[in-house]
Amino acid sequence: MAFEPVLTRNVGNPAALTLDGYRKGGGYEGLAKALKMEPDAVIDEVKRSGLRGRGGAGFSAGAKWSFIPKGKGKPKYLVCNADESEPGTFKDRLLMEKDPHQLIEGCAICCWAVQAATTYVYIRGEYTYANDVMEEAIKEAYQAGILGDSVLGSGFKLDMYMHQGAGAYICGEETGMIESLEGKRGQPRVKPPFPAVVGAFGAPTVINNVETLANVPHIVTRGADWFKSIGTDEKNTGPKLYAISGHVERPGTYETAIGIPFAELLDLAGGMYRGGKLKAYIPGGASAAILTADQAGLALDFDTMIKAGSMLGSAAVMVMDDATCMVRSVARLAKFFNHESCGQCTPCREGTNWMELLLDRIEHGKGRPTDPQLLRSVCKNMNGTALCALAEAAVGPVDSLIKRFPEEVERHIHDRACPFPHRRYFENGAA
Amino acid sequence: MPRVTIDDRTVEVAAGTNLIDAAFKAGVHIPHYCYHPRLSVVGQCRMCLVKIDGMGKLQAGCATQVMKDGMVVHTQLPEVKEAQQGMMEFLLINHPLDCPICDQAGECGLQDYAFKHGVSYSRFQFEDKRTYPGRERIPLGANVLLNMNRCIQCTRCIRFTEEIAGTGELGFFHRGARTEIGTFPGKQLDNQLATCVVDICPVGALTSTRFRFAERVFYLDKRPSLCTGCEVGCNITIEHRRGVIKRYKPRFNPEVNDYWMCDYGRATFERYRDVPRLAAPRLRHAGDIGGAAAGTAGAGTAAAAGALPAAAPVPAPVSWKEALDAVARHLRSRSAEGAVAFLGSGFLTTEEAYLFAQLAELAGTPHRAVAVDHGPERRIPNLQGGIAGTEAAPNRRGVELAGLAAPAARTAAARAAAVPVGPAQTPPMGTPQIVVPGAAGAPRGGNGQEAAAGTLDAASLLDGDGAARCAVLVVCDSDLGAAAYDPATVARLRRARALIVFGWADSPLAQAADVALPVAHHAEKDGTFVNVEWRVQRFERAFPPPGQARPAVEALSELLARFDPHWANLDAPAVFDLLAAELPAFAGLKWRELPATGAALAVPQAHAAPAPELAAPEDTAVGI
Repeated sequence: MAFEPVLTRNVGNPAALTLDGYRKGGGYEGLAKALKMEPDAVIDEVKRSGLRGRGGAGFSAGAKWSFIPKGKGKPKYLVCNADESEPGTFKDRLLMEKDPHQLIEGCAICCWAVQAATTYVYIRGEYTYANDVMEEAIKEAYQAGILGDSVLGSGFKLDMYMHQGAGAYICGEETGMIESLEGKRGQPRVKPPFPAVVGAFGAPTVINNVETLANVPHIVTRGADWFKSIGTDEKNTGPKLYAISGHVERPGTYETAIGIPFAELLDLAGGMYRGGKLKAYIPGGASAAILTADQAGLALDFDTMIKAGSMLGSAAVMVMDDATCMVRSVARLAKFFNHESCGQCTPCREGTNWMELLLDRIEHGKGRPTDPQLLRSVCKNMNGTALCALAEAAVGPVDSLIKRFPEEVERHIHDRACPFPHRRYFENGAA
Repeated sequence: MPRVTIDDRTVEVAAGTNLIDAAFKAGVHIPHYCYHPRLSVVGQCRMCLVKIDGMGKLQAGCATQVMKDGMVVHTQLPEVKEAQQGMMEFLLINHPLDCPICDQAGECGLQDYAFKHGVSYSRFQFEDKRTYPGRERIPLGANVLLNMNRCIQCTRCIRFTEEIAGTGELGFFHRGARTEIGTFPGKQLDNQLATCVVDICPVGALTSTRFRFAERVFYLDKRPSLCTGCEVGCNITIEHRRGVIKRYKPRFNPEVNDYWMCDYGRATFERYRDVPRLAAPRLRHAGDIGGAAAGTAGAGTAAAAGALPAAAPVPAPVSWKEALDAVARHLRSRSAEGAVAFLGSGFLTTEEAYLFAQLAELAGTPHRAVAVDHGPERRIPNLQGGIAGTEAAPNRRGVELAGLAAPAARTAAARAAAVPVGPAQTPPMGTPQIVVPGAAGAPRGGNGQEAAAGTLDAASLLDGDGAARCAVLVVCDSDLGAAAYDPATVARLRRARALIVFGWADSPLAQAADVALPVAHHAEKDGTFVNVEWRVQRFERAFPPPGQARPAVEALSELLARFDPHWANLDAPAVFDLLAAELPAFAGLKWRELPATGAALAVPQAHAAPAPELAAPEDTAVGI
């Protein structure tokens, strides 16, 4: 049965980019309904829906909102994480470019629920087009009284600003993002205190991913029960965007119920590129452990992935066929993490550097028999010792390489060369 | 107050105490680089990871506060030790093998923790270390050099310039393994406290240009003392090798300078090396060129006597006995045509000033002055809002309290014990009185006489014709400031009929003297200084004086004994106890009982800042 799009229902309909077009499709009814509810009731509804963070951690969005202290003490902030720098992830971009008002509505409802008066959308600097689209939509929203001194005439004041990043993956980490938002160097803070208590500008702050917030209008309009009816079980609910890339015929963003088995998603994406054979896939961005072909039947939801030793993360599914060198792939990921480490803490700064050097050496045929053990040891020293989760993310692919593809690593070391030739994609002018 | 258990030792600490400080109080040392008691917590180096019961992952000790009872911390578990080994390994893989040429060897955080918490082999064998080409010796300012290859990115220096110095010249640039320290564009690291970043840098990335390659730290003898650069009185450590001082480092005193000292103070030891030393007593005899009368209550007007031609040769050395005998003769033979004046400096210890004052009492003269240079304000941050001073000498207040500027309030008993040695001195009339800034009250004459206007003070002696009125001018310090090297001032002082100079420096003033007595400088003697906040601090000598020089207290004791035997055989501690018994400001103090951080004097001007409640480690560097 075909899945009826929720988050992507306006994709392909350029009229929906405008406020009028969005409204025609039922837009901003969720906000109107929420404004008539008690803020806590909105939080409860979102909690009940089982919506989990779509940015990578999978933490209950409603629970996160409920951590914000009530009362007049300090202003509250919502920071929408549109940094989307996890390799292989491009779903938030789609949402912002094709349906900006959906995100604005989601932010507004969240702000009403936690009583925040200001939203900052921290968007990665490279998304210049998405930024322009969002700015335009925000301007429209102000003009229509959806943002500003009295949201939809309710008396609730809400401001929304776009804030562009400047090319750092670490600014997608919530406290790194807050530091960058405050104009400082984007390096994560020690936690505790958590952002719900001390966040942006020292005030309680909610940080949610774009996709997470895009779900919120639908939960309010159609109810938590409807949301729960989609998905695998009551802990993995709602629609999900999967950004599938790699060796597939039709890479792109697909929306289905959360928990679609990988093999089905692969079919949706047109199957393996040029009929190749599946070797491995990464289910959730560069930090997720690599899964092998025999795990193709697994459901792509939070808990199944955790049970399988990986994670759903940002649902950036990267597919690799059997001509892929796993060592070279993981070496490239290690290079990414080394490049993106902020450099404050010792295990990440030195560990990611060392891992890139080690994997490069192995890939270029200069590996030593002690290297696999050494890699495992470096991973162990980085796990749980660093200031933020980037070190653990960097460990993910390397650890799974050693665990699931030990014979490939051994072959590199033994043969003193990489057994997989580099691919030529555009031979004879063909794509 | 909550109690915390660390490795089976339980301590009670104030709520909010940092776990590293609490562990220190319990006698447990948690290794750390980026943490410093005075800087914000960043939790970056990950060296302080410990296991706390109830928490799954290892926690950074510096990022944890003791808030409630019941926290149980383990630092000796295998997983903690493995984490420490892991962190040491990570820090060493990109660190250059510079120990043989690095200043920090011997006091290096990496060396010490690698020994204690690391492994003895390297697994980083077939890769190239990350380097910063061209960043091996970058001057960050006049006093600090950066070697970026050695940096472990602990950000202590950045946080210091931001939070303590308040000038924020340093920052992090770039990202990841390429992160580097530098000054923001257009800025230099030139604040007053710039060299403090060298102290707090755990490795040899930041080095002092003054100390670079000067000495291996394990050959340095380290003695606690006080800085003499200004009236703040920072506590320092004199680090010397066989009497040659190589550097000063600040010493922790939470009530004065905390962990810091200024760059100017650090440079003050260089005077002892650069200025020639007065090595032996010198005596100019009656037959010497210039005809300065030696010892007789001779005739001749004060104005005509005493002036030496510019090229007068320096007299030959004599024994201490001869020199002291000559001084005693001068003091006994005061003539009616001239005064006896004592000119001290802010560099005298309180004990020396007291003995000089006794000499002045015995000579019956009210003419006692202190010459102190003023410099730019030196400001040292501390927990009480900072301490600042503009006088360029450590002890003007102590010298004045001890009686050298104005006769001290003496008990009746002491007054009675004073033995007058000649006709009572009547100060010449008509000389205008110029008040030295800071001098307390109007000078009183010896033997209970009320001094009239017209005592000779520093201004009249140094800049006016006061010296010409002197039969005997005793300069208590040949290095009393810029004046001792200014030929015009020296010529003015030389107009005294007899010029007696005590001092360590063979300054032009000492060379012009009739009797020059070599004494020890502050690193070679015991004594006390009273700082800008009226706190008396004790210091002890680091090494003995060279040649014939002796501590002035010893020489003065011997000199005074020629007048009154009960002054014989005194050392600085004994003199301090004597003056404390007599002067109300020092009431109740004894040398041996002076607290390590100094004692506040009982004067109305004293700042009554309470001592801070601290559990902090005392050392400035890594906490070793």
